[in-house]
Amino acid sequence: MVSFKINGQAVQAEPGWTVLETARHHGIHIPTLCYHEAVEASGACRLCVVEVKQGDWSKIVISCMYPVAEGIEILTESERVKNVRRWILEMLLAECPGSKDIRELAAQYGVNSTRFTPHHPDEQCILCGLCVRVCKEVVGVNAISTVGRGVHKKIGSPYMEPSEACVACGSCVTVCPTGAMRARIDAVRGEPKVQLAPQAK
Amino acid sequence: MANDSKIGVFLCDCGQRIAPLVDLQALKEKLETEPGVAFVGREPYSCLAPGLEGIKKAVREQGLERVVVAGCEARLMLKKFEQQLGETGLEEGQIDMVNLRGHVAAVHDLSPEEMADKAAKLIFAAAAGLQALTPSPKEKVDFNGPVMILGGGIATYSAAQELLRQNIECILAVQTDEYQDELRMLHEHYPGERHYYERMEAIMAEVDGSELVRRITVGELKSLTGRTGNFTVTFISPDDGLPRIYHAGAVIACLDGQMLNQGNNFGHDGKTVICHTEAEEMIWTTGVPSGRIVFWINDYEAGHPEFAYLAARTAWSMARYMREHSPLTKVTILHNHQMAVPLSAGERKLGRELGITWIPYDGALRPTVQAGYITFCDPLLCTEQELAWDKLILSPRRSVGLEVTKVARVLGMEPKDGHFLEQHHAKVRPEMQGRDEAFLAGSARYPCDLHEALRQGRRAAQKTAEIVHKAKAGELYAPRMVCVVDQSLCVGCGLCKEICDCGGIEPVEGPGGNIPRHVDPMVCTGGGTCAAACPYHALTLQNNSTAQREARVAELARRLGPQEAVAFGCAWGGLAAADNAGVKGLKYDPRIYLLRVGCIGQLDPSVMARAFLDGAPGLLLIGCPPEDCHHSYGLDHTWARVNLIKKLLGLCGLDRRRIALAHADLNQPEQYIRAAEGFVRLLAELGPVERDPLTMERLQGLYDTVNNARVRWVLGANLRRPWEEVYPGDQRNAMSFDKSFMDLISEEFVGVRMTQLMRKQSQPMVLGELSRALKEDESKLVDKLREMVSEGIITRIHKGGIAHYSLR
Repeated sequence: MVSFKINGQAVQAEPGWTVLETARHHGIHIPTLCYHEAVEASGACRLCVVEVKQGDWSKIVISCMYPVAEGIEILTESERVKNVRRWILEMLLAECPGSKDIRELAAQYGVNSTRFTPHHPDEQCILCGLCVRVCKEVVGVNAISTVGRGVHKKIGSPYMEPSEACVACGSCVTVCPTGAMRARIDAVRGEPKVQLAPQAK
Repeated sequence: MANDSKIGVFLCDCGQRIAPLVDLQALKEKLETEPGVAFVGREPYSCLAPGLEGIKKAVREQGLERVVVAGCEARLMLKKFEQQLGETGLEEGQIDMVNLRGHVAAVHDLSPEEMADKAAKLIFAAAAGLQALTPSPKEKVDFNGPVMILGGGIATYSAAQELLRQNIECILAVQTDEYQDELRMLHEHYPGERHYYERMEAIMAEVDGSELVRRITVGELKSLTGRTGNFTVTFISPDDGLPRIYHAGAVIACLDGQMLNQGNNFGHDGKTVICHTEAEEMIWTTGVPSGRIVFWINDYEAGHPEFAYLAARTAWSMARYMREHSPLTKVTILHNHQMAVPLSAGERKLGRELGITWIPYDGALRPTVQAGYITFCDPLLCTEQELAWDKLILSPRRSVGLEVTKVARVLGMEPKDGHFLEQHHAKVRPEMQGRDEAFLAGSARYPCDLHEALRQGRRAAQKTAEIVHKAKAGELYAPRMVCVVDQSLCVGCGLCKEICDCGGIEPVEGPGGNIPRHVDPMVCTGGGTCAAACPYHALTLQNNSTAQREARVAELARRLGPQEAVAFGCAWGGLAAADNAGVKGLKYDPRIYLLRVGCIGQLDPSVMARAFLDGAPGLLLIGCPPEDCHHSYGLDHTWARVNLIKKLLGLCGLDRRRIALAHADLNQPEQYIRAAEGFVRLLAELGPVERDPLTMERLQGLYDTVNNARVRWVLGANLRRPWEEVYPGDQRNAMSFDKSFMDLISEEFVGVRMTQLMRKQSQPMVLGELSRALKEDESKLVDKLREMVSEGIITRIHKGGIAHYSLR
């Protein structure tokens, strides 16, 4: 057993657990977007940042992947942590102005506007890749992935064409933290599913 | 069916998303008071490492044999629980989930106590379902013999090459003795692929020279029996007409489509106006013709625009060969302006250099072939143009071919007339091995070029090799939720094989001359509509049986209030939509109790009947959108079953609308909510079901009727078959069919009720007594009585000149 503190509360954890898991087990809330219990954590959204204090130094880490260690002290709502979260939320506001969930979350932290240039006003996707991981790890079909790089990166099936691999299970829609997948799934599963000659387009 | 397994229930707080909304403490106490649940645990997050540790500890300490996790979506989380709890000995099927968050906490405006009430009912139902589970042992699939590649298509060689590179033995069942012969005939199926022949020959030589490959020259394929790992393939020898039997562990079918010329259409005469295959033949024999050659991509006019791309590629390839080998030949390709020129930038450049002209024509005006000229309309100038030709080359007609169709039938596919073999039976597992998908290669799947055919062959071989390697390592296990046949109950009627959409059901030679069936677990998708259709209940979906669903629905129905309804949601449609309603936090009427089911077609009519018998005032079935069923025809089959229950409800004196079939797209949670709310509103209008002795007796009759073999037979015969393209809603003689069906049901309904009554009575009964007890007209009973006497089900004794009936 590993003993450490979260927000001053003494907690115990098994080696191998993450800070997020231990915090949640003890009823301490840490906001997340790209984290889902069904898949491995990937640390894409950075919203779950916490401050780790050990001795006289401290650093900001992502709690969903940071393993517990003896004697550390975790602060989930320190001013430094909140500041980082506000930055992230401000960037997310610019990334996906169309998402109601993100706007609400940002408002909770007092972030109501962004200094960055917003993307398309209808954009909802935060590119956390949760849908991609669910498709791979839970469903096992790899029908969707991130397509393109940098500012052109988006979520979809290869070449943005309906995927033959898609089994139309809707897991991506269910896990999506912002509801962006709802608008995209039809482009992935394809309507109608039956095509006589796939190469004749 | 109760086998007293220890069931543990784990309630999940899900942070703040379940706990304050649902009174989990009250729920825990409620669950603990009942004998059905051995242990109740509570975790802040049951799916995270600490929570999972807690569950594992409880399972070990309490010796739990089944687990219900009351938390969130089974569609997403069940796999994780199965993997994590696997180390405690709990297997797939022994863990169930209730979506407290998405079906209760997030979607209703109820007090925490009321939420706990609803949750308790759902959890008790899940526990009852698990109690009725008879877990099957894990079945290892033995793999005997080499891989057989049959059908004689050209993909044979790429498949064999892939297999021998993976060091797997294979048998090639082909038509000719030498591979060179096949190479010589290749242009008949794949014209314009000459540039590929050198590589093709290298592949063929590599395969032919390998010791792992055995080449057999066989005749017609007669039968394929057995199951994955152990197939028996029978051919009819062309020499002596005797069967030749081979054993194989796996079978790959490589089938090439057929190319025909255009007959008398489009001016085809076989000399100056020819098709691709004939042009290819001509180049082979007499060399490239000189003069003006015009390729007309006439697939739009022939009614198959989808083949135009392929035809244009072939034309381009042949044109290129002609220009490169005969400078005197002038080549023009005439194509419909709706299609893009299918060339890459490099090919366009090469085309210009070679002087190959692509001319588009307006598809609205059909080009006309004349002697030496073809007339077409220029889409830009809108004027008619003429093009002179010495040889006009048309696209071929593509078809599957009779031989291939025959082979496909033997392989258990149901090729529709004039359709290529590629069927899209929806996949339900990524590793699923539908025969048509994984093990079929070649242009008979859909028209394709040589490259694509070879790629398909390699892909099929890779899929097969995965299985072979797994099997050789002793790690190939049959999926747990597949159909099994109880051979002692099976009469070999073949109904299941007819309605099975995955081709997993095979006949086996049984003792006594009848032919019971067995199921190939590697092919079965676990759809279960076959099990729900079996007149004799000989088919069971193991670890997910009708008995479990009956137990689940009965438990729930017993606990329901007078205006509450049971609903079944299919994991691909209704349930997914309900889950997504929970994610969106849409609020709806709490009087609907949703149970999870893999496919709506798994629901045996006896499950539906059980709901009413045990007190449900209504039953709603929510499947996938029509024609989107992942198990082909689950929704159609359920429609027929619901229709049966409706008729029987009418006979019971209840409103037919108490059962309804609905559908919801997973992305349209509103559809689910509309269906659910509409249904509970209707139930509120209809009022409660009076549970007086007569109604109860009739409901028991309803239950017995749907289990009656004769009723189930007629119902099964009426289900949509995989080869039927659309549901025959416009069936011929619809009225008279319905009438005969109704007559049959009424007759059997009376029959089972009389049987029931006589079973209860120790004394023989007279007609009048029967009539009074059942509240049915004597005239309705008398015919059925006479029939049952002649069938030997009941005996008739005359006392004082009056017939007395009793059960034999």
